[in-house]
Amino acid sequence: MKTNIGKKTFVGLVSSALVALSLFVIPTSASANPVCATAGGIKSCQGKTSDGAGYVLQAPLNFNGTAFIYSKGYRYPISIPGAWDVAASSVAEQVPGPSAAIKQTTAVALLSKGYGLFSSAYAKTGWNADGALKTNVELIAIWKKEFPTTKKIVAWGESQGGFITQALAENNPGLIDAAVPLCMVGGSVEAALKMAGDALWGVKTFFDPTIKGGGYSAGAAGVGEQLIDIGKVAAALTALQGGLATGAWPATSKVPDAIKAAIPSRSALTMVGQMAGLPSISSHVDGVSGPGDEKSLAHAQFVAGAAPAIATLQNLSDAAVLGILLIADLEGINGGRVFDNNGVDYEKQLGDAKFVFSSALSGFDATDILLGVLKAAPRDTANPAALTKLRAMASHKGVVNVPTIAMTAPFETVTPGGHVQWLINANKANVAAAKAAAVKAIASGKPATTPKDNLMVIWNLPPAKYTTFTATGSPDTSGPAANGTKHCNYTSKQLVAMAEIGALAAADGKLPNAGTVRSLMRKAGGLSFDRTFEAALLKFYATE
Amino acid sequence: MIGSFRKKGLVAASAIVAIAGLALAAVPAQAREVGVTATSIKIGTTVPLTGIAGPGYAKVAPAMKAYFDYVNANGGINGRKIEFIIKDDRYLPPVSVEKTNELILKDKVFAIVGALGTANNLAVNSRVRLGSRGVPSLFVNTGFSGFADKKKFPTLFPLFSSYRMEAKIMGQYIKENFAGKKIGLIYQNDDFGADALKGFESAGVKFDVSLPYVSGTQGAATATTWIQKMAAAKVEVVYIFGVTTATAAAVGVAAAAGYKPQWIFGSVGADATTIVGQTTVPVALLNGALSMSFMPDAADTTDEYVKFFREVNTTYNNNATFDNNIMAGMNGAMMVAQALKAAGANPTRKSLIAAIESKGSTWASAGYPPIGFSSTSRVGYTGFWIGKYNLTGSLIPVEAKGTIFTTDSGNGPVVKTTSKRPALPAKGLPN
Repeated sequence: MKTNIGKKTFVGLVSSALVALSLFVIPTSASANPVCATAGGIKSCQGKTSDGAGYVLQAPLNFNGTAFIYSKGYRYPISIPGAWDVAASSVAEQVPGPSAAIKQTTAVALLSKGYGLFSSAYAKTGWNADGALKTNVELIAIWKKEFPTTKKIVAWGESQGGFITQALAENNPGLIDAAVPLCMVGGSVEAALKMAGDALWGVKTFFDPTIKGGGYSAGAAGVGEQLIDIGKVAAALTALQGGLATGAWPATSKVPDAIKAAIPSRSALTMVGQMAGLPSISSHVDGVSGPGDEKSLAHAQFVAGAAPAIATLQNLSDAAVLGILLIADLEGINGGRVFDNNGVDYEKQLGDAKFVFSSALSGFDATDILLGVLKAAPRDTANPAALTKLRAMASHKGVVNVPTIAMTAPFETVTPGGHVQWLINANKANVAAAKAAAVKAIASGKPATTPKDNLMVIWNLPPAKYTTFTATGSPDTSGPAANGTKHCNYTSKQLVAMAEIGALAAADGKLPNAGTVRSLMRKAGGLSFDRTFEAALLKFYATE
Repeated sequence: MIGSFRKKGLVAASAIVAIAGLALAAVPAQAREVGVTATSIKIGTTVPLTGIAGPGYAKVAPAMKAYFDYVNANGGINGRKIEFIIKDDRYLPPVSVEKTNELILKDKVFAIVGALGTANNLAVNSRVRLGSRGVPSLFVNTGFSGFADKKKFPTLFPLFSSYRMEAKIMGQYIKENFAGKKIGLIYQNDDFGADALKGFESAGVKFDVSLPYVSGTQGAATATTWIQKMAAAKVEVVYIFGVTTATAAAVGVAAAAGYKPQWIFGSVGADATTIVGQTTVPVALLNGALSMSFMPDAADTTDEYVKFFREVNTTYNNNATFDNNIMAGMNGAMMVAQALKAAGANPTRKSLIAAIESKGSTWASAGYPPIGFSSTSRVGYTGFWIGKYNLTGSLIPVEAKGTIFTTDSGNGPVVKTTSKRPALPAKGLPN
C-alpha cells in the first residue's frame, strides 16, 4: 500500500519529531557514532563532536539533498537568576528565530520542504568563534557520512553564528555551497566589544561610577561582580526612565550638580546611545511618531527631544548588559582586561548626532558640557597581552568566496547594520582589487577570469511608523517589538525566505537573480534589497 | 601536442570571456537616469508643512509647485513635465531622513530640490548619504555656510546667502549704528545659530546678553524667559536669529509685557506676514524693526520678479497670501528649472551638477547679490541688503534701492556695492 501523507499531516508529524528529539540518548563519548531514530518521517540523530560539542542532525525521509548547517548566536556564559539559565542555553539549536515558537515553525517549514538541518551546541558557551569553526568543519563531515545523498550544504547562522558562518565561508569555501549570515557580527568581535563597552562606560560615567565595567575576577567572584553590575545598570536605567519627564538624574550619578541642574538626564542618556553607535529607534519607538496632534508643540518636542532618549533607554537595556557579559567573557578567554578607551574621541564618535539630535541633546552648549564630562572621566585601560590575544582571535578578511546572502536590520540593537556594512565595503574593495588584477593580467597576456561579486545583502527594515501611545501620551511598550528592531527579530516567513534564497544560490553556484529574490522577499514582508542603501558603520570602523 | 594546444586554446578563450566581461562592466548603462522618462522628470522635496516651523515655511513647497506647474503649462523642460513630490518633515531631522529615503527609494526621484532646514539637511546628507549615492540636492532652503563645502557635500548646492555673511553684514551695521547701546541676541542652539555666531565673531560684535534656545522649544513659555532676561538687563537692541516662530513668540510676549527694544530679525525668521499671522499683535508693531534680505521685498510690486511671481501665484497657487516664503519658493524653483534645462536633452545626475557648476552663476533669479557657483565654488548668493519694516510690514531699504553688501563666509571684508541682477527672462521661463 502506497503511503500518501498529506502536507498538513506531514507538518504535524515533523513537529512531533522535533519534540521527540529530547527523548534520545546522547552518546556520552565524544566522536562516537551518532544515535539516530526515525519518527514522523524525520530521521533525527544526536551525538558529540571530538571537542565534546553536542549536535543534532535531522532530515526528512524525502531529503532533497540540500542541508543547512546552523550556527547559533552568542549565549550568555553565566546564569542570571530569574532571567537566564546558562545550562538551558547550552544546547544545539537547529534553526534561527527569536522565540521557540518561531524556531519550531521555521524548522517544520524547512523539513517539510525536504531540507536537512544540523547544528551543534558548541563545545563552550559564550564567545567561541574559533572553537565553533572547527566544530562545524567536523560536523559537516559527520553529516555527509550519515546522509550520503547530500548534494549541497548551506551554512547559516545568526549574530555570533553569522560571524562563524562568514568565517567558515572564508576559510573553508570547499565545504559549503552558499552562506546566509543573519544579523551577523562583521569583521571582528572587537567591533561588537567596542559598541557594548562604550555604552557601558557611558552609563558608568554619567549615571553610576561604582559600576565596575571590566577587570572582573575569575570564577565565582567574577560572576558575582557581573551580577552586581547588571543590577546597578538596571537601577540606573530605571531611575532614568523615571527622570524622562522631569529631567532628574539617578541618585547614583556623580556628575556635578550644576550640570545636572542645567541639563536633563535624557540628554546624557541620548549622548551615551549616540556616541556608542546605538540606533536612535527601538523596539517600540520609531523616532518619528509623537502623541497628539502632529501640528502641536508637544508633538514636536516629543519627537525631537524625548523619542531619542526613550529609544536609547530601550536599546541600552540590551547593550549595557551585553557589555558587562561580553567584556567579562572576553577577559576570561584572553586573560585580562580587553576594553580600552584611552584616546577615544567621543565628540568624534558622536559625529552627526550632535545636529541630528540637537534638541534631545539640549542644544550645542549642553552637548559640549556633556562631552566635557566624558573627556574628563577616567578611561579604561586594557591589558596589552590580553588585547593582543583578543586581536589574534578569529576575524574576517571580508572575502566572499561562496554565494553569500546576508540579512540584517540596520537599526537593530546588538548587531546594527554597521557590521554588514563593513562586509559590503570590504567585499567591494576586494572585488575591485581582483578586477584590477585581472585587467592587468589580461593586458600582459596572462590568463585571468572575471572576479565575481558573490555578496547580496537584504535589509530587514522596520515599518516607517509603529509607535503607539498610551492614554497618558507615553509610548506603549506592552506589545511585541516591531519587526526590524531588537536583535535578530525575524519572522518565520523571513527566515524561510532566506533559507530558500540560500538553497537557490547553492544549487546554481551563484547569487539568485534579483527578480527571484524580490519575489521571495515580497511573500515574507519587511525585507528590502537595495544596493544603494548604506547602513552607518560601527564606531569601531568609522573612527579607526 | 594536441593537449597542449587545447589548453592554450582554453586559456585564450577564458581570457576573451574575461575581457568581454570586464569590458561590459565598464560600458555605461544606456538606460535613462533615475526619475527621468521620455515625458517627465521626477523631483522631490522635504519641508515642514506642519509642526513647529510649519507656519510660513509651509508655503515654500506649494510655491515651488506653482512655478513648476506654470513651466509645465508652457511646455515643460526639454519636452518633459516636471513631477514634483512634496514630503512633510515637520522640521524634525529624523523625519527628514525618513522622508528623503522615501523620495529616493520609493518615489525614485531624479533629484532633491529646495529641502529646508540646516539640521534637516545635515542629517539627510549624513544619514541618507546623498553624496556617495550621487543624488543631487539643489538649492537647499538654508543659509548654513558649511553647505558650500564641495568635498563634504559633493552633490549639494546652497543658494541662500549664508548666515555667516548675514551676521557679518548686520554685525558691521550694529557697530556703526548702535555703538554704546546694550545689545542682546537670541539664537537657535545648533548649526544654524552657530554659523551666525562665527559671523558675529568675524564682525567683532559682542552681545551683552546672549540666549540660546533649543529648536522645538520656541513657544510662548520660552519666549517669556527671554523677554524677562532682556528687559531685566535693560537691553536696547534685541537680535533674534531664529525661525519665524521664535520671532513671533518673542515679539508677541514683548508686546504683552510692554518691552519695546529695537528689534533686528534674522532673515530666516523675518517674514512679516508669518510673524503677524501667529501673534495677536498688529503688523504696525514691526514698524522700525531691522532685517535683511537677498531678494526684493514681497510687497515691492515695482520689481519685475515680484510682479511675475505674483502672477504665477494668482493662477497656479490659489492666490495664496503672497509673502517672502512664496518668493523664496518660486525663486528656488526658477533656478531648478534652469538647471534641469541646462542638464541637456537626456539629463543625468552628473550632467545636472555639471550644468550648475558651469552656468549657474549666470542664471536669472530674483536675488540681488551675485551667485558664486563655479567648478570650484558652491557658494550661492553672496550678500544682503538691509531694510527697516514700515507700518504695513514692508521691508524698506535703509540705503538706496539696489544697494547691497557683499562678503564671504570667512573673514573677508563687507563691501557696499550695487546689484547687477540678470533681467527676468521672457515669460519667466528658462532660456
